[in-house]
Amino acid sequence: MDSITSLMRPAARACLVLASLVIAACAGNGEGLDANGRPLVPGGTGSLPPLSADFDSIQANIFTPICSVCHMGGGAPEGLRLDAGDSFNLLVGVPSTEVPSLMRVKPGDPDNSYIIQKLEGHAAVGSQMPFGCPTTQPCLTTSTIAFIRQWITDGAQPSAAAATVHAAAPLAVTSVVPDGGEPVSAPPPQIMIAFNHDLDVTQIDSRSMHIEKLSPGASPVASEIVPARVTVSSANPRALMVWPSLPLPSGHYRLVIDAGSPSRFSDVAGRSVAVGVPNELGQSVISTFVVEVLP
Amino acid sequence: MIQRLTIAALMLAIVGLLRTAPAEAEPYLAVMTGYKCNVCHVNPTGGGLRNEFGVTYAKVLLPAETIDNALDSWTGKITDRLQVGGDLRTDWSRDTAPNSPSQQAFALEQFRVYANLTLIPDRLGIYVDEQIAPNGTQNEEAYVRYGSTTDGFYAKGGQFYLPFGWRLQDQTAFVREVTGISMTTPDKGIELGYEHAAWSAQFDVTNGAANATTGSGYEVTTQVVYTKPIWRVGIAGSSTQSNIGDRHVGGLFAGLRTGPIAWLAEGDLVHDQSLPGGRSLAAGLLEADWRVLKGHNLKLTAEYQDPDRHVSNDQQTRYSFVYEYTPLPGLQLRAGYRHYFGIPQNNTQNQQLILMELHGYF
Repeated sequence: MDSITSLMRPAARACLVLASLVIAACAGNGEGLDANGRPLVPGGTGSLPPLSADFDSIQANIFTPICSVCHMGGGAPEGLRLDAGDSFNLLVGVPSTEVPSLMRVKPGDPDNSYIIQKLEGHAAVGSQMPFGCPTTQPCLTTSTIAFIRQWITDGAQPSAAAATVHAAAPLAVTSVVPDGGEPVSAPPPQIMIAFNHDLDVTQIDSRSMHIEKLSPGASPVASEIVPARVTVSSANPRALMVWPSLPLPSGHYRLVIDAGSPSRFSDVAGRSVAVGVPNELGQSVISTFVVEVLP
Repeated sequence: MIQRLTIAALMLAIVGLLRTAPAEAEPYLAVMTGYKCNVCHVNPTGGGLRNEFGVTYAKVLLPAETIDNALDSWTGKITDRLQVGGDLRTDWSRDTAPNSPSQQAFALEQFRVYANLTLIPDRLGIYVDEQIAPNGTQNEEAYVRYGSTTDGFYAKGGQFYLPFGWRLQDQTAFVREVTGISMTTPDKGIELGYEHAAWSAQFDVTNGAANATTGSGYEVTTQVVYTKPIWRVGIAGSSTQSNIGDRHVGGLFAGLRTGPIAWLAEGDLVHDQSLPGGRSLAAGLLEADWRVLKGHNLKLTAEYQDPDRHVSNDQQTRYSFVYEYTPLPGLQLRAGYRHYFGIPQNNTQNQQLILMELHGYF
């Protein structure tokens, strides 16, 4: 009996400590929060919209509550952030980092969209998503994935709410990769410029925009044009891709819309792009970046 | 044969005593034995391929029963210079979440193989950790290592796991998810390490997950651990510079042995400026591993996370009860129950999980 008592004593001690922790660290009661744990907006109900084959619903029911637990912020695996503010631009028409020949979402083609392969568990690389499924959390059901498939089949349209709110806004750049935040440590194979509206592909070609390499210290500013190809992503008409013909050596660069082009640089509704910072020739500079190739 | 195994066990005990800090396959084993990670693993920060000592420990001291002709001469060494190993985990699980039908499934969680090629003994080596299944192969670690990983400085370059906190077997633990640093997120770069007596330290410069698509920015990670026979304490930090916003992570972790129980604790704080307005997160872990008998371990875990410290009522907790039985060398069975508690309006945050796992290793 003594041996049983002495055997059980450590377990009782462990249970006591853990029980104390249970009492001390309770889960939140969710008061004042929506279903994803974020503060309610004034007038909001906090309830999720029913799952349907549109981006808002998929974001609210799948990407935000399940995927963005890990795919969020600066620690997001593969740099893929699936919070509401980033997911569309980082999914649609963007090559996967694990299998660059496949787009994460290829509008109209769910079978060749990497996100579907990852969710269904037959991707060429890595684990099925959500990570840990089916062992430590449920996989998405076939019927749930079917909504994402349908959204992709329908063209992977962006958020309806965002489209309505910004419908009247002028055409503008929303993000550039790489931008001027940090020096780029390797020559970028392409530069992506994201816009807030679908671009008019008939208006845009390699004369619409160019890359300039700046000569540091020169006054007035001296620059030379770097040969590059400019295309609108076939999968995401809001993404303009600039492909340098040669690897960019170390230096300071800027992206410039040619003089006279802004009027021709328009979206499908005919809106011209908002003019950026003018350079010494009056052309519109929309971004600068620095390449520092490691020796 | 029994005699040989007894001698092997005695030799292990002697080696263990002579070393300032010996081995792990799971961090609770390190706390239980007072060993450092590099005593049982080729990788000085733990996980992956077990060295000769680790292989012998796993087949002699870990299982409930030793078998005369099972793996008796196996140390993982194919030649003097090449050592291999592997882990295969297959599971059955049942998930139940409120307002949702239960899901249950068998799954091959992973089959991984490791190899270590010694080019110059105690100085230069190449290490590879490759996930073979499920799906296609995926490289987890591949690096060149120069210097001694047992005493002194070393450097490694290539792809490897970052050193941060407890390297838990459960990659979905809150402390691993919130920090974003786990055995699912290897990174490319260089690591400088130092191992001496009770001290273990690493300093890493890598790309950082946030820079996977942009090719800019970097992540600096550092960790220092001080290990004594019945306790240890560690501090870790990580800072990512990125176009999308900087991210800073800090953590404290500790282990303590009280009789047959090994205690593990970790607390982490994250400040992520890449999220709108910047967001602070926190996560904590307390784990108790009770070695009931040789080959039997009861694992109790309590976890906590606050996904936004400036928002009230959004905290989540998770409690796990797992029994691990290692009947034979190279075989482990695990069964457990886990309950998540979160805000009531989110089903996923309130799920329950029943889990059974078969783990084969060599």
